[in-house]
Amino acid sequence: MKKLYYDVSKCLACKSCEIACATGKSASKDLFKAVGEEIKPRSCVIVKTTQGKNFPIACRHCKTHPCVDACIAKALTYDENKKRVIHDKDRCIGCWMCVMVCPYGAIRDNKKLKIPIRCDLCADVDEPRCIKACPVGAIMYLEEEEYDKILADKKSSKKSL
Amino acid sequence: MKNIVIIGNSAAGVAAIEGIRSRDRESKITVISDEAYLAYCRCLISNYLSGTVAEKDLTYRDAKFYKDNNVELLLEKKVERVDSKKKRIILEDKSQISYDSLIIATGSSPKIPKELKGVTKRGVFGFRTIKDTKEIITIASISHTSCVLGGGLIGLKAAYGLNKRKLDVKVIVKSGRILSQIADKTASELFLNCFQKNGIEVMLNTDISEIIGNGDLRAVKLDSGKAIGCSLVIVGKGVAPNIKLISETDIKTDKGILVDESMRTSVNDIYAAGDVAETFDLTADKYENNALWPCAVEQGRIAGLNIAGENIKYTGSLGMNSVDFFGLPLVSMGAFDTELEAASSLDREKNLYKKLVLKGSRLIGALLVGDIRNSGLYLRLIKEKADISKIKDDLLDANLSYAKIAELIKKKEEKIYL
Repeated sequence: MKKLYYDVSKCLACKSCEIACATGKSASKDLFKAVGEEIKPRSCVIVKTTQGKNFPIACRHCKTHPCVDACIAKALTYDENKKRVIHDKDRCIGCWMCVMVCPYGAIRDNKKLKIPIRCDLCADVDEPRCIKACPVGAIMYLEEEEYDKILADKKSSKKSL
Repeated sequence: MKNIVIIGNSAAGVAAIEGIRSRDRESKITVISDEAYLAYCRCLISNYLSGTVAEKDLTYRDAKFYKDNNVELLLEKKVERVDSKKKRIILEDKSQISYDSLIIATGSSPKIPKELKGVTKRGVFGFRTIKDTKEIITIASISHTSCVLGGGLIGLKAAYGLNKRKLDVKVIVKSGRILSQIADKTASELFLNCFQKNGIEVMLNTDISEIIGNGDLRAVKLDSGKAIGCSLVIVGKGVAPNIKLISETDIKTDKGILVDESMRTSVNDIYAAGDVAETFDLTADKYENNALWPCAVEQGRIAGLNIAGENIKYTGSLGMNSVDFFGLPLVSMGAFDTELEAASSLDREKNLYKKLVLKGSRLIGALLVGDIRNSGLYLRLIKEKADISKIKDDLLDANLSYAKIAELIKKKEEKIYL
């Protein structure tokens, strides 16, 4: 199953992904209306800068998914077929156990909604909105094997230089 | 094909079933529980008490789960003792069940101070099960005032639930602060403030000397001599592991059942997991009884997998907790209440507090109030025993990221960046 991967050499931290994500999570799904919504939509992806490079991060839907183990409300389950962590918002009580154990710091608390902010890979549309929003093609939606291949190609081209 | 018996049907017991069945579809699994319910979200009984979660939504695993996994579930059966010599267990009704492998996941029970006069009166409860909660709700519906003994997580969750039910709640705390297991002095002050502001009276440095009533409780008498009229008392004075059933075996115990990194006890073919088990604590560097849901799940699964023939090691437990009272979140983990070097920041006005405890070049504890972002990164650094000297000055920064700590981490499971 596909996951999001990021090409750090391309990312400019323009935060277009954050805006597209937050808009997608809003009630209206429209940027200009979303800004005025009573409960401000929040982006699941966050771009952080360290040592001059920019690193987007969102839920990795980890194979080991410690958040699912930690969930005391059975609001989180792991779909073995889709390889995704599924969040049942109706069962969620906002205890923040998932925030506490996320190995990537990718899950945050939404105090207003009392549920965590977590990427569902835009389950309501065909593919995550952040991909199209990225003006430099730094966000990729790939099978793990495709990622491995790109990484290997990149390494070998570096060597040949 | 083995005959596997699991005593206990909560987080650890259920995870053990899943662990076994992920490798072994054949062996017979029998699960015994002294409760009348299918596995439920025990930590949510305070939400059930407050009325925000319905009883049907407490279900953790439904009947289909037991059927699909071919598990024989015996409810409302209490195990009296384990006979490890003959590899069998004896139930209170004197029936016997033999086993090839046994998992003890009996959990813990509220500590009720037996010496307290009147503690057996009707209206005095521990707060652990659906049954407790149902009885509490029945009495709460005709009560005006209730008292909670103990200012720990369980006591305060009960107080929070009763407050949401519009009861007048008084929390009586023997020591000088609340939440001492999950907060340091500063954090506990922030929460004390938060509770008082929301109408829950917390009486520190106060103990009760007697529970007064004629069959039904009428009042609690404080050590000052003053009495508080109430018809409901919840005792939240901690929990103790349920180890009575192994008292006639050679299983080594301390506070709980001591287990090795495979979740084995000192007796062959007997494993323990969850609140009843005492495991090696990563930051305390000694055996501890970390009675926590996430630990129980991990331990139960490992016990199950190892019974099914795997050889999986538990890296150790860590005291950690996450809670939210009246919209104020707290996350704490490891050794956060020590005299060791710590980086901290505090804004009392905004209820923001962050403290990171260092031991040499290692992070060994974290405490966050108000802003709990990135707590999982701290947990990872603690668990990995990473050398954080390089990023020491950036640890408190809200801009901390996985990318920042990535090079300090050995165990990289997910691929992310190019």
